[in-house]
Amino acid sequence: MGYKTEWLKGIFPALVTPFTSKGEFDEGAYRELIRFVLPHVNGVVPCGTTGEFSYMTLEERKQVIEVCLDEVSGRVPVVAGTGCPSTRETVALTEWARDAGVTGALVVAPYYLKPTFNEVYDHFRAVNKVGLPIILYNIPQCAGTHFKWWTAEGMLLDLDNVIGIKDSSGDLPFLDALFEKVKGKVSIFVGHDEVVQPALAAGADGAILASANLIPDIWQRVYRATLEGDLETAQYWQQRVQKLVRIVVRCGSTQAVKEGLRMMGLPVGDSRHPIMPGGAFRREDREELRLQLESAGVDKIKKAPVTYDLGEKQVETEVFATPQTPRTISGFALKVGEGFAGPPFQELAHVDLLLGLKDGPVGRAIERAMAGWGEERGLRIINERPRTLLVPTVTIRTAKQRRLFYEHAAEGVNLAVRLSVEDGFLPEAILDDVVLIVNAFVHPAASIAKRVEFNNYKATRHAIRKALEGRPTVEELINEKAAARHPFRYAP
Amino acid sequence: MPIKLPWLTGIFPALVTPFVRKTEEVDEEAYRRLIRHVLPHVDGLVTSGTTGEFPYLTRKEQQRLVVIAVDEAGGKPVIAGCGASSTQEALALARDAKEAGASAALIVTPYFLHPSDKGVYQHFYDIATGVDLPIILYNIPQVVDRYLPRTVVEDLTDLPNVVGLKDSSGNLTYTMELLEYVGDRIDIFIGHDEVVLPALAGGVSGMILASAQVYPEVWQEVFRLVGEGRLEEARALQRSVQKLSRIFCRYGGGVAVKAALRMMGLDVGPPRKPLKGVGGALIHETRAEIRLELEKLGKIPVEETPFEYPSGPLTERFGDLEITPEVIAAHHMRIGSGVAGEGLNKVQIDLIAGGKETPLGEAYALQLTYPLHGREALTTILEPALTVRPATLLLPTLPQKNLRQANMIYGPTQSALARAIVDALEEGLIPPTAVDDEVMVALATVHPRALDRHALYQSVYAAATQALTQAFAR
Repeated sequence: MGYKTEWLKGIFPALVTPFTSKGEFDEGAYRELIRFVLPHVNGVVPCGTTGEFSYMTLEERKQVIEVCLDEVSGRVPVVAGTGCPSTRETVALTEWARDAGVTGALVVAPYYLKPTFNEVYDHFRAVNKVGLPIILYNIPQCAGTHFKWWTAEGMLLDLDNVIGIKDSSGDLPFLDALFEKVKGKVSIFVGHDEVVQPALAAGADGAILASANLIPDIWQRVYRATLEGDLETAQYWQQRVQKLVRIVVRCGSTQAVKEGLRMMGLPVGDSRHPIMPGGAFRREDREELRLQLESAGVDKIKKAPVTYDLGEKQVETEVFATPQTPRTISGFALKVGEGFAGPPFQELAHVDLLLGLKDGPVGRAIERAMAGWGEERGLRIINERPRTLLVPTVTIRTAKQRRLFYEHAAEGVNLAVRLSVEDGFLPEAILDDVVLIVNAFVHPAASIAKRVEFNNYKATRHAIRKALEGRPTVEELINEKAAARHPFRYAP
Repeated sequence: MPIKLPWLTGIFPALVTPFVRKTEEVDEEAYRRLIRHVLPHVDGLVTSGTTGEFPYLTRKEQQRLVVIAVDEAGGKPVIAGCGASSTQEALALARDAKEAGASAALIVTPYFLHPSDKGVYQHFYDIATGVDLPIILYNIPQVVDRYLPRTVVEDLTDLPNVVGLKDSSGNLTYTMELLEYVGDRIDIFIGHDEVVLPALAGGVSGMILASAQVYPEVWQEVFRLVGEGRLEEARALQRSVQKLSRIFCRYGGGVAVKAALRMMGLDVGPPRKPLKGVGGALIHETRAEIRLELEKLGKIPVEETPFEYPSGPLTERFGDLEITPEVIAAHHMRIGSGVAGEGLNKVQIDLIAGGKETPLGEAYALQLTYPLHGREALTTILEPALTVRPATLLLPTLPQKNLRQANMIYGPTQSALARAIVDALEEGLIPPTAVDDEVMVALATVHPRALDRHALYQSVYAAATQALTQAFAR
């Protein structure tokens, strides 16, 4: 029979493992990350799924756990990920972790070859014998097998060193079955960032989360509020970060967390291959994550002063800056930005954006177009400050296309411009000096008007920032050129 | 123990159901025309199957289709699709079909509510014992969301009038398992157009296919060749229709078949709502792809468009951009040209690079305001959200007449050009100062009938690399 400890409760970040540009463990960055989260958490998890344990050698995992223990130095519990596909290695690493002094071990269900549940049971029975407190770990998205409640119940009740289970499935009926069977006997942790608040409200003892690297303070608020019975506050904060954590969970969590930390000024490198920038964590996800991290209440990316050098005049503005944001931006004759947002396929948005001086090439092009073929070709000025020309990429043929383009896509573009004025990227002082050409694509088969609007908003907002910040950088292009996957490059 | 029916072999098209535009009424005349079109190349007909949109048809309509098919079939067997979610409905349909003169009933695995294996068995049992008509079982997990369990099939084949099974799963491990267990007792038909040849080689008796109303003669030939053990020739034929078959199976089903028939001059109308003729499962790009494949098969005439690759002095090829030889000289613009590839894959890239504040900057901006109808310029990207630098416009020199042709430009051409540019950046051919200070425009001439995306990518990459080398090597 397992047991319930006093210490296994609250918010535990599943720490990312920082790597240097050469791919080596970056101890300094790791210590800094731990110092960043420590004030807000009840424990930490080194070498979990988010910590890329499956891409590290056993020696590296040991080194990371040792550094973690040293930096934490007893202030909070350290639950180390010690799971491996084979029982033999899992037992050996768990024994090592026990001797190194970790508080407990998080042991993932054996993966890749898919053992049957009686084999999984015997796996955990062997790990149980190590004598270290064990937390079972269900993560079907990666492991490929989903615990049945009766296997979980069997292990939780039969094995005397099992103190809890972490369920990352997001499957609330499964979690509820666990509450029904073993609540109070062991700790039940939720590991899916999108359902933290409902799981805590339903009785979970805590959460081990990827996004707790980024927003440990907010998760602590959700946890505290739930403990105090203040469901309204807990719900408020869950909803406040819902989009942020959905991006993290569904769009390549390790890389997403790492790029989020980097944008916050905590450089932790990239994930090891085959996880890569611009992969599961797509470019557009990064833009959206950035917007979420800088949003009011989250406040993880701060504003910084930037100078716009327009040649004849200099404009000071303040923008939410990442390390990639130049502190002086010049070359306003013509700037190119591209934005892409989807799915769904039919409603995806693709924007080619030009930003430039009114009396430069972009301004002259707008005036020539409007004096010439503008009307006939469906061009439209949709805003005067800054003067914005909306151009359809494909010929508008039907009434539906016309409505989706001139009403909904245009609304999305204008919203992006408005919010870019508000957030400082398009400061008031340049609105009479610069103009925009927004060449936007709406697929002839598009139907869902709101999606057309949102996707064009996103694509335009991303394009404005990319144009101003000069992204993608040459380095990003070179890193990704070989693996880039152009969607129209292949036959059906 | 069933007796194998001698006629249950060969090629059976799963006929679409033609509808009149707007009213969505069944178009009986079009149905007759369709049957007359396919009849010489087939061994029988299948009415109101999945391709025939059976869930959208009334009982009366389904019986009417059988009546017409029997009337037109000239003695060839008609298999009536009698699929329904409920046993009662399916049995009623089978009785209607019997009355209308059908030779057999095709009964799909019950769908929507998920009956147990026992329920599935009982469904087929009630129908087989409730009507004096040969029964063909029908496995199509793509729409039913479950397989017809092999063990249930095993038991059903003990019924005297269960004579066959149509397997549309495309999962050959399932097909082989059926052949192993019941192949000696009933006829297994392949219902997945992409795997006809391997299924025939594996031992199935015939095929019920959506594509058998578009290219029945190809399947007839494949069937004959496999029968004679001439696999090499059969493979070549299967391969010649592989892409269209894939489109029919995965990217549009009956809707795509209707689009193909219409291109071939057999107007069978739109699908019933909520399906869309185009813009739903069948997207515009894929529809354009169907046309090209039909041209290749000789089903529709090829539209030849005369065109030329640009020639003459390179400095004079940028007139569309209002860039004259004098402007090039005055602003020290870089120009280069490259040609690569053979035949349909021949590509020419004429490239110009220059300062953002020169007339090229203005030309660049002007291009994005859409002045050349059918030749819209797009920013060069490695993939969406990965724009190359220096910012480069890709401008096709020939009008883009359809989305497929456009896709050749904005797919393989765009990504190959992007890759050539980033490679040139990495090698230092393009100087770092150009990244922020210059823009480029690449005029791409791609054969209007180019269709091999892989080969096209290679040609564009080679041509673009030549053009960049000429433009930047100083």
